[in-house]
Amino acid sequence: MKARRCLLIPILLVVIECLTATVASAREALTFGIFAYRPDNIIRERFEPLARYLSREVGAEVRLVVLSQDNMNRAVAANELDFFLTNPSHLLLIRSERSLTGVLATLVRRSGDQSTSSLGGVIFTGSQRQDINSLEDLRSKSIASPGMHFLGGYQTQVLELQDAGIDIRKVNLIRFLGTHDRVVRAVLSGDADVGFVRTSILEQMAKANPDLFAQIKILNRQELAGFPYVVSTRLYPEWPLVALPHVNERVVRRVASALFSIEPDDEVAVAAGITGFSPPADYQSVEYLARTLRVAPFDQVPRVTWVDVLQHYRLWVFTVAVLVILLLASSLWLARSRRQLASEQKRLRQLVSGWPQPALLIKGGVFVDTNRAAVDLLGYSASVSIYGKDLAVFSPEFQPDGQISRQKMEQINTRVGDGHVEQFEWVLQRSDGSEVWVDVTMAPVHGEGEQEAFILCSWYNITRRKQAEQRQRLAASVFEYAREAIFITDSYGMVIDANDAYLAITGRPRKRTIQRLPPLPLDEGSGVFSSARAQGFWAGEFASRRNNGESLALSMTISSVRDDHGKVSHFVGIFSDITRLKEQEQKLRIMAHYDALTGLPNRVLFADRLQQAMALTRRQSGKLAVIYIDLDEFKPVNDAFGHEAGDQLLVEIASRMRAVLREEDTLARLGGDEFAAIVMNVQDEASLESLLVRLLARVAEPAWVVDHNVEVSASIGCTLFPQTADLDGDQLLRQADQAMYQAKQTGRNRYVRFSDFSS
Amino acid sequence: MQRRDFLGLSIATGLFATGLSGCRTSDPLVFGIHPWIGYEPLYLARDFGWLPASVVLESGPSSKDSMAGLLSGKLHGAALTLDETIRVWSEGTEVVVVAVADVSAGADALITRPHITELAELQGKRIAVEVNGVSGIMLLKILELAGLAWSDVVPIDLPVSEHAGAWSRAEVDASVCYEPTAMKLEREGGVRLFDSSDIPETIFDLLVVTREAADGNPDAVRDMVTAHFRGLQHLVRSMHDAVYRVANHQGIRPEDVQSALATVMLPDLAANQRYLSGAGRVEIMARSLSKLMLRTGMIRNEPGFQRLCDPSFLPRSLP
Repeated sequence: MKARRCLLIPILLVVIECLTATVASAREALTFGIFAYRPDNIIRERFEPLARYLSREVGAEVRLVVLSQDNMNRAVAANELDFFLTNPSHLLLIRSERSLTGVLATLVRRSGDQSTSSLGGVIFTGSQRQDINSLEDLRSKSIASPGMHFLGGYQTQVLELQDAGIDIRKVNLIRFLGTHDRVVRAVLSGDADVGFVRTSILEQMAKANPDLFAQIKILNRQELAGFPYVVSTRLYPEWPLVALPHVNERVVRRVASALFSIEPDDEVAVAAGITGFSPPADYQSVEYLARTLRVAPFDQVPRVTWVDVLQHYRLWVFTVAVLVILLLASSLWLARSRRQLASEQKRLRQLVSGWPQPALLIKGGVFVDTNRAAVDLLGYSASVSIYGKDLAVFSPEFQPDGQISRQKMEQINTRVGDGHVEQFEWVLQRSDGSEVWVDVTMAPVHGEGEQEAFILCSWYNITRRKQAEQRQRLAASVFEYAREAIFITDSYGMVIDANDAYLAITGRPRKRTIQRLPPLPLDEGSGVFSSARAQGFWAGEFASRRNNGESLALSMTISSVRDDHGKVSHFVGIFSDITRLKEQEQKLRIMAHYDALTGLPNRVLFADRLQQAMALTRRQSGKLAVIYIDLDEFKPVNDAFGHEAGDQLLVEIASRMRAVLREEDTLARLGGDEFAAIVMNVQDEASLESLLVRLLARVAEPAWVVDHNVEVSASIGCTLFPQTADLDGDQLLRQADQAMYQAKQTGRNRYVRFSDFSS
Repeated sequence: MQRRDFLGLSIATGLFATGLSGCRTSDPLVFGIHPWIGYEPLYLARDFGWLPASVVLESGPSSKDSMAGLLSGKLHGAALTLDETIRVWSEGTEVVVVAVADVSAGADALITRPHITELAELQGKRIAVEVNGVSGIMLLKILELAGLAWSDVVPIDLPVSEHAGAWSRAEVDASVCYEPTAMKLEREGGVRLFDSSDIPETIFDLLVVTREAADGNPDAVRDMVTAHFRGLQHLVRSMHDAVYRVANHQGIRPEDVQSALATVMLPDLAANQRYLSGAGRVEIMARSLSKLMLRTGMIRNEPGFQRLCDPSFLPRSLP
């Protein structure tokens, strides 16, 4: 067991040593990758001297590996390469996938005695192609290109065409053939219309094929002084030579030093077709190209995070956020105010519809809205019956002022339309035909932004007031137009108001009426009010005087007016002027007791007077005489001279007899030519007889009537009172009559005393 | 004679351009330019089609034509040096600096015969100089440094484009010129005794437009400035391409382009913002330079500018 272990250890050591040696030798050999942009053998042939030169200069074997882009990618990924030389676009791609030390040097290409560290693209077609002369003609042509990651063989051309407005990646058929040589062959053979190669390819190939430039034509040729190749695009830095990070720094320095020390005339440079290497160029323009075209490694659209956006568009985001917040706030505010508005509207609608006063909305002259009260007032059951109709529909044909309802309504509508608020009284006709007085208020309501104004119309039922007014007016007219004087006083009897008849009757102006007492009976004065207060009224007739002193007879009634508490608050008086009535009454009374011709008392008054005189005489224990006088020969006078003469004679005789008698005596005409007299206080026979004589004498005197001298006489009968027998007036007068008759019998023109012939 | 012919031709083209543009609603900005490494970005932009139709480049052999065009109203803008800008101003055409194309850092040089080894030795020598150009200013500065007066030397007023001929005919002992003439003279045995890298940030090559164009056609001005910066971007970023194009354009070798580029600083957008600001270098230089020019009689009238630069036409970013 132990022996075996002892044997194993030396074997292991040997193996480890061998391995170490292998690694060391691998480090000694440097692998130099070159991108095969042309056929392998050409590349190898050209760069083999460079590999040998470097092996010599660096002191380690430099192995040349010619690789396609894909293989180079794999080799780089596997760390199989130590240095590589490729085109700038490929460099970008590799650099994006792994870290590199950076570009060591930039190739400087040679063309004859000129050199350049710039490369570009060539766009060419067969010289026989008459249809392709400019970039514009490339549309829909087939294109041959070595590959997508070829800077001069693809990307520069794409950019140039893109600047010319042609995106060949979208519209053209592009065939990627791997190498530039195949592209040239494809164009020459007619497999492709157009070829893309990098600069210097055509010049190199022309060495083998001198007719090449005659077989092709270059498109979009750039005139660049001092640039040794034909070129169709703008230029970019030549190929970079890159060292990988794992390569020893000392080795890198040596390689770089060896590369930079290559002189243009060196065999190695001439073989490779270069003039050497220059310090690394700035590949920023290549990167910019790749970014512009969005080719690898910039084919990914950069992922933009929210934070990036926020950073980049800070101001915009902030502005938009503020605007959104403002918008939200304003919408919320709007919504709230709309809700408020809606509820306010609802409340308002409820208020209007529930309001006990009728209210309506008019638009375009017709009702468009109304409340319950209006419908009820008009006597309809639903507001639909009112909508769409105007005020005149619900009115009688004429208004009380005589205007036609419709015309009046239109005038009012016009005024309200002009912005006035109108208030007026109106008569409406209800559905049952009855009429309703309303006080109408119409006001224009200008809604914002509305073309036509609404008119708010409200009604106030004033029918009762109107009726009361009518009654009042009637009452007032009674007061005004009554022929009777009417007055109202306060509780003290002072006149508060009086009508015109009052003023006319009393003859007082109004100012001397108000706050004064009305005309009152002289005896009672304002006591009449006490009576009216006590009994509710007072009535009476009394004499008064007009303002100008004329006498008046008034018939007045005063009534007390009681207030709600039963207290007398006012008196209402009414009186009429009864002056003429009183005069009439007087006249009638005179006509009943006096003789119309002579003005002497008639038989009735005589009898009355006689009664009174007899009573007086009996009381005074005096004497009176009753005398009966009958004219003699009167009838002939009447017959001879006519009744007028007879009447005149009677008046004359009566006047004479009256003059004979004393004041207290009464002379009456009993009828025709018969008179009677009462002589008071007969003292003695003698005075009576002298009176009788005087009477006869006076009657017998001639009288001048109707231009005639007439003489009559009288027969007188006389009796005294008292007598022994108790006599009444009639008996007395009959006694006197009998005595007169006696006188007639005894020859006329004499007197006879009753006692004389009866005794 | 050639120059006269050229002038006639350019007037004719100018009239033609104006006549043509009269039919259009918006006249294009006619921009005068002449070959100079700092102005190459505009040529590049034109070649790549980055110059919109609103801008027309009017290429002349020297800045003289640009100045004359601006003064006559034929041009709406031009690529000029700072001193030329001041001259145009003092002649009565208001101009605005909208971009700094380059700052000379060796591009303007004094090339002498090899036997002249010091500035002081210039005394009494025939010096080719374009008096009314940037080389005039350069010579002023050189004489100032050498402690010499203008009368101490024999200035031979020649357009820079004719210096090479005068040199080869041995008509001059020294030349105050700029690239590529300076390089040509060096190749013919001239010695670079002094160049603008000795006086940094003094000689500016500018893009200017008339005040009228800046106010009346600001979009075209902006297009022109943007095109310059796109061209500049290509020049810097794709140097491998640009050197060949510039070489082709200027008729020199690509290596010469690279060495010419080394003699100028090409300020990018950010640097332009800095240069054109109110207290920027251009504004300060313009003031001191106009005083100097007034003093030496190079200009008769003091240019009445308050503010020569306007950075508002610079694009915010490039595509």
